[in-house]
Amino acid sequence: MKKTVIGILGMLAFQVFAPAAASPGEPLPVDRAFAISIQHGSGGSLSLEWDIADGYYLYRDRVAARIPDGAALTVETTPGLVKDDPNFGSTEIYYRHAEAVVPDPGSGPIEITYQGCQEDGICYAPEIRLVDPVTLAVSDPAPLGAYPAVNWETEAAAPPAAEAGAPQAAGPADFALAPDDGLVQSLLGNGGTLLVIATFLLFGLLLAFTPCVFPMYPILAGALARQGDRLTARRGFVLSAIYVIALASAFAMLGAAAGWSGQNLQMVLQSPFTAAAVAVIFVALALSMFGLFELQLPTALTSWVAARTGATAGSKRSVALLGFSSVLIVGPCVTAPLAGALLYIAQTGNVALGAAALFMLGIGKGLPLIVMGTLGGGALPRAGAWMEDVKRVFGFGFLATAIWMATPLLPPRLDLVLWGVLLIGVASFAFTARRSEGTVLMASRAVGAVALIYGAILMVGASAGATDPLKPLATLAARGQSLPAAEELQFATISTSPDLQGKLDAANGRPTLVYFTADWCVTCHTIERSVLPDDAVRRGLAGFQLVKADLSDFDWDNAALMEKLRVAGPPTMLFFDANAREAAGTRLVGAVTVDTLLRSAARLENL
Amino acid sequence: MMNRRDVLKIAAAGSAVTALSFPVLAQSSPGVEEVLFDPEIPALGNPGGNVTVAEYFDYQCPFCKRGHEDLMDVVRKDGNVRLVMKDWPIFGGASVHASSLVLASGDSYERALNALMATPGRLGKDEVDATLSKAGLDPSTLLAAFKKDMDRVDAILARNMDQANAFGFGGTPAFIIGTRIYHGAMDRQALLDAIATARAG
Repeated sequence: MKKTVIGILGMLAFQVFAPAAASPGEPLPVDRAFAISIQHGSGGSLSLEWDIADGYYLYRDRVAARIPDGAALTVETTPGLVKDDPNFGSTEIYYRHAEAVVPDPGSGPIEITYQGCQEDGICYAPEIRLVDPVTLAVSDPAPLGAYPAVNWETEAAAPPAAEAGAPQAAGPADFALAPDDGLVQSLLGNGGTLLVIATFLLFGLLLAFTPCVFPMYPILAGALARQGDRLTARRGFVLSAIYVIALASAFAMLGAAAGWSGQNLQMVLQSPFTAAAVAVIFVALALSMFGLFELQLPTALTSWVAARTGATAGSKRSVALLGFSSVLIVGPCVTAPLAGALLYIAQTGNVALGAAALFMLGIGKGLPLIVMGTLGGGALPRAGAWMEDVKRVFGFGFLATAIWMATPLLPPRLDLVLWGVLLIGVASFAFTARRSEGTVLMASRAVGAVALIYGAILMVGASAGATDPLKPLATLAARGQSLPAAEELQFATISTSPDLQGKLDAANGRPTLVYFTADWCVTCHTIERSVLPDDAVRRGLAGFQLVKADLSDFDWDNAALMEKLRVAGPPTMLFFDANAREAAGTRLVGAVTVDTLLRSAARLENL
Repeated sequence: MMNRRDVLKIAAAGSAVTALSFPVLAQSSPGVEEVLFDPEIPALGNPGGNVTVAEYFDYQCPFCKRGHEDLMDVVRKDGNVRLVMKDWPIFGGASVHASSLVLASGDSYERALNALMATPGRLGKDEVDATLSKAGLDPSTLLAAFKKDMDRVDAILARNMDQANAFGFGGTPAFIIGTRIYHGAMDRQALLDAIATARAG
């Protein structure tokens, strides 16, 4: 386990620390301490120059050049100052300005190394720049900053010289983050990789019972049914296991992509286009459940595969293909509930872990399918009228999923209308179900009646301006009382960390909520529609300064702000107290609910 | 009696609602153990102390060395501070050489470390060896000990460097006192204040 944690730490090479312009004693980012510029010199040579900030110096003997991973190149340096401080011995150093010449750089890229210190402060680690001697393009081969997975408060050391008892001026990098670690990190810390993987297996198993995964049942059942009499329990097991492993592999690829890119998958999987497409697919699936058309792979494709591989192998391959492509439906649907966990996978930057975790997620989702595939042949009664009823139940489930996926994209209140219509549809189905006798009849009538009543209530609520499907009459009920509606929440927009520091400085004793959101983040739409407008939330956040960072147009400023705050993606909410310190344990990542938001807000009030 | 939530669940023939309220689990904290309690690095001061000071340092970094005597003095006088010196050789071969010999010096660890930290400035390998000899240690014995123990020592250096990079330290010295990070040199008063801050929690 220790190895894993160290491995993660190692990958998180977080290069340059906070830009700290304010108090003179804080070490500058290395590029401002030693600004390098490179020009063509005479006779094909390269001339290097450094502008060195006041109070900083460069070592003459630490300037070097070489072919990357190869031979050292000659570097001519001018004599430096021999500092006669007992701390320095006889080393030559440069103040303010330094020059060097590489007489024969060749034509390929070369690596320039240099190193220096801040007087009385810090000695920088060697800086390496890759230089193209022809174009003079300079790049920093150091891995770009990821997010430190560690929970430490950062604070620049008070400079010894300025230690006169004066309180340190608030610099632009003065806010402090709370110890905060992600789900995945905490699992890694507590039980290692295995615990992470086991947890994702469990997530998968839980998700297997959501409508997101339901489409896979009829798809797999269809594939198995085509086996006809050859379908034994053993063969059912093999085929469904292949299907599930293919599905899990597709998920593993997503996980590897997340770990590799460090980007959250949501940007792709949760774009409004994907959400809309998946909603449409679910409507289509529902229609097929209602008998409008039959669900199966195009016959051209299955026969093509079968012709090349023989019938037996063909069914295995086509099942594998089915499983692999099913992720297109299931993936976007399940990332919403998993947003938080996926953000953290991206944060670890660990490809193997990402792949393994999502593979197990897929397996978890597939376990009930394997059970069905194995038992399906022998245990279940042969298809008959009952199967039609089951299919309709699935159909309504798919429609519900479609509404759920589409809700963030729809104008407010339309989802209530849709839920109402769906429930009334359920009612009419329940009243006319074929096998209506005895207890089944009673149950289906009860369900139908309740669905009808609640569907009607939803329609009434929608026309009265309600937005919460669980409280459709709240607006009507509130009308009688004199409870003043809380004010709508107004967020100020920021995009850089000086912006944020400015807001925090101007908070005037109030705590601050920083909310990361984006147009393409469907989960954020849900928060903005059903969490933020909630009356209790409005009241709970009344004393807060509200700030939002909009990541819709993702640029360097945003990226720097996110890196600084260790935010992996939207939706994320941070709570700073009046002294610009993030309160421990309040950060919300992923799906935010009224309860979690109020709990975090309450912790700030109680500080 | 069924509440409205149950009704909606039944109507949706499943649990889209369950998925909506899928919990984002609570969060906690790893890392402290690896950074402050690396079992391969000897703890100086009071190994059972209630505050840990960790310093990322290099034997050629002038400010690390200039502040070392004060640091040791603060730790000694306090009596309840654990001190962990984390070698982060950023000045090349001589630094790696010095760190390797000291980390392989076993019971003489503190003596070897203090001897090298008492040198003024930049060092060559010969100066490292000479300094250790003057402190009564045999550099060739230490080198032999290091060669036997190379895997362990190299692993310590690699861990320290990974951590320094993960923390975003620009260079040496960098301190962690309690769980707070301090970039750059610290004088006596700064150390005392930081230790007090760590104790205050």
